[in-house]
Amino acid sequence: MPESPAQEPTEASREPLLETVDLAAGYNGVAAIRGLSLSVGPGEVVALLGPNGAGKTTSLLAMVGLVRPLAGEVRVLGAPLGRRRPHQIARAGVLLVPDDRGIFYGLTVREHLRLAARKADAERETQVLDRFPVLRKLEGRRAGLMSGGEQQMLAIAKALLARPKVLIIDEMSLGLAPKIVQEMLPAIRDLAKEDGIGLVLVEQHIELALSIADRGVILNHGRVVLTGAAGDLLRDRHLVEAAYFGAEQFADTEGTLAG
Amino acid sequence: MGTFLQFVVLGLGLGSIYIGLGTGLLLVHRATGIINFAQGAMAMWGAYVFAQLRVDGRLVFPIGSIEFARRPTVAVAAVIGLVTAFVLGLVVHYLVFRPVRNAPVLAQVVVSVAVMITLQALVVLRFGANNIDVASILPEGTIHVLDVDLPTREIIMAAIMVVLAAAVWAYLRFTRAGVATRAASENERAAVLMGFSPDRLAAVAQVVAVMIGTISVMLGSSLTGLNPDNYTLLVVPALAVLLVARMESIGVVVVAALLLGAFQSVIGLLVTKSWWPVWAQSGLDQVIPFAVVMVILFVQGKRLPSRGSLQTLRLPDVAIPKLKPIPAVILLVLGVAALSLTTGTYRFGVTTSIIVMLLALSYVVITGYLGQISLAQGAFAGAAGFCLSKVTTEWGVPFPLSLILCALVATALGMLVALPAFRIRGAQLAIITIAAALAIERFVFNNYTLTPPEGNPIADATLLGLNLGVREGRDLSRMAFSLMVLVVAAILVWVFIRVASGDTGRTFLAVRANERAAASSGINVRKTKLIGFAISAFIAGIAGCLIGFSRGQLSAESFTVFAGLQVLAVAYLGGITSVGGAIVAGVLGPLGIVYVLLRGVFDLGEYYPLISGLGLILTAILNPVGIAGATREQVDWVRSKLRRGPAAGPSAETGSAAPRKEPSRV
Repeated sequence: MPESPAQEPTEASREPLLETVDLAAGYNGVAAIRGLSLSVGPGEVVALLGPNGAGKTTSLLAMVGLVRPLAGEVRVLGAPLGRRRPHQIARAGVLLVPDDRGIFYGLTVREHLRLAARKADAERETQVLDRFPVLRKLEGRRAGLMSGGEQQMLAIAKALLARPKVLIIDEMSLGLAPKIVQEMLPAIRDLAKEDGIGLVLVEQHIELALSIADRGVILNHGRVVLTGAAGDLLRDRHLVEAAYFGAEQFADTEGTLAG
Repeated sequence: MGTFLQFVVLGLGLGSIYIGLGTGLLLVHRATGIINFAQGAMAMWGAYVFAQLRVDGRLVFPIGSIEFARRPTVAVAAVIGLVTAFVLGLVVHYLVFRPVRNAPVLAQVVVSVAVMITLQALVVLRFGANNIDVASILPEGTIHVLDVDLPTREIIMAAIMVVLAAAVWAYLRFTRAGVATRAASENERAAVLMGFSPDRLAAVAQVVAVMIGTISVMLGSSLTGLNPDNYTLLVVPALAVLLVARMESIGVVVVAALLLGAFQSVIGLLVTKSWWPVWAQSGLDQVIPFAVVMVILFVQGKRLPSRGSLQTLRLPDVAIPKLKPIPAVILLVLGVAALSLTTGTYRFGVTTSIIVMLLALSYVVITGYLGQISLAQGAFAGAAGFCLSKVTTEWGVPFPLSLILCALVATALGMLVALPAFRIRGAQLAIITIAAALAIERFVFNNYTLTPPEGNPIADATLLGLNLGVREGRDLSRMAFSLMVLVVAAILVWVFIRVASGDTGRTFLAVRANERAAASSGINVRKTKLIGFAISAFIAGIAGCLIGFSRGQLSAESFTVFAGLQVLAVAYLGGITSVGGAIVAGVLGPLGIVYVLLRGVFDLGEYYPLISGLGLILTAILNPVGIAGATREQVDWVRSKLRRGPAAGPSAETGSAAPRKEPSRV
């Protein structure tokens, strides 16, 4: 399916794949995020941005059930998460690639791919490995012996192999050379568009993230302080920066850019 | 040469059991991160069911039994035994191990020790303490190789177990669930994020582990008969094998298991030779696994791999004890009152409770404060006790000196056992210490040249002409003796509180919380551990001496590994981090006042090990801080409520009870 900007509104207007409604979550009863409402539709790329401690990772963990909501709810494919356990959510098609990449150093690339696909799926495997041809050569190698970039490719590849409906990637650029990130992020975006995967990215690299995303959501102090179309946010860099550094106008109210 | 080869092959039988238990231990550790000290006891239950069916056609459950009209055939009985093992694995996983999945290592060790005590007690209650003969499953016979007749049973058995271990290896290597188990053992969260339930994988692993262990015990028991103590404790050499395999390689488990079995068998042959020193005839089969593990740990010098898990909870909090005169006097008065209001067996029970309190206090030092899991405290006590017998009867050393001298012997032993603690910690240290305890028990306590079987009498203590003996004429429990015990205990508790509330106590807590952080703030971690082991072994030694005085003579049965574990059980039950916990432990402890009441009033003495085991499982799951800890938390809670009431505001709460707590992050 070729992508074109004109199609995006129709895609986004479909039933959202993943939705948080007024979500509050945190640790030991203390909320790290409050009132988080966002949604991801098929083929939509949402960049979740914010300074350290803004609650980005907590939001992601809450989406996959690793952190239980204190208030509000998470809805997957229209159904509330409820008491479903994290591994059941993963089976339902919401996959998180955590910031430690979620790979196993003692296992080979082949074993990772084996784990990722519930049933052997040669077609999908070819499709995914065509995107990351390096992995073909490394099949017998243990993940612990691979470079950071190779490990990150493996992490993404194994997630894609499971045919996710929503793919959530936490700080892919962590520990990677900027060049690799610049190559990988667009590749992942293209895949998401092709397969209609809803993609949520947490990134420190604001510009890069916004350049491939459809929408940007900026968190600070556990609240959404700014949301808008990625293109608009890119144009209004000063607003983004103000949101990042906690300018007064964003302290209490949620800023929204038209568009 | 021929005899040598025969003994090597005979040893393969024992080696096969180690394969069964070791493979199971490895699998469970991979899947749950728990080192299951109950592996032997769990494997034994199914084998007992099998054996009893073959003996008289009775199918025995933990409660109740079914009588078959005819004895079932070997095959049917074996299947029933395996089904029992299957159910046992599931039950233990879901009721016991799953709730403590994210608990501190200490709680996990304690829970598995509790399962071990419980099953062992249950076997004694349901099947009896005596050896049961088990009909052989395997054909008897010999094959003729190199001019020697070699028994076929051991060879077939080893072959079966090697095949089963290979099957487990293949499961971990080639099946999706097996690969996922390995994956989860490395990074549990990542496995969850890929849609695997570590819980289900763990249940599978637990069941497979129990079944392979049960098969090995069924086969092995037809060679030796079944005996509740032996098979429960076979887990110790199997654990040694596990450490040798660095908890990773099934191949190494198999090779090490067979070598160890063969080696033990050959040692059994060698000790019968005339040139073998008499003093070293007993217990070498247990000393060797211990020595092997020690050597390997030192040669390897690497950290053993530990399993990554989702999250780790903290150890129970420690409240720094303070010397408060009023509660101290109240406790002393209570102690004197309890002693003077009782006579005979009841006063003896109270006295024993005070002694057990001391033994529990030694666990408080080493485990509660220093965070090191030692299962050898009973052995330290025993060493001091036997030393007391020599010192008082042969050398005539007078009373307070004899007590201190023997406690110092225990201290030296404790410092020796502390050496491995420099390198390893957690459950692995627990393995080393239980291996050390077993080695000491078999090599020293059961060694007739060191501790003659006709008894090790201990002369009564006298101080300045005052007779402090426990018996005189028909009085089986003299007040003078009990008061002496109370005074000694009070002194030790006082010293403990001084140490715990001072700088040494703080360094202990720092090491417990985080060794690296402690080292980086200038604490000498090794010295601290050495001091901790020394203090705790000294206290255990005093307790051992007092036990010696109270009995008048000692035998190996006085200080079994199980007795030591039972004290750990009650110490944990009471609360491993406080003197209060030690006191609760003393009251509940083996042969203490509660035991005496259970036996005397309710006639339930034989159920004591079972009750203490079950109580321990429940405590460790429901309430990891122990009884005393929970009470303290409730008292703190009530206090903070009371304070908050009149002050009308949350500000009153800060600065009251809260800062005294020293949280630990482990």
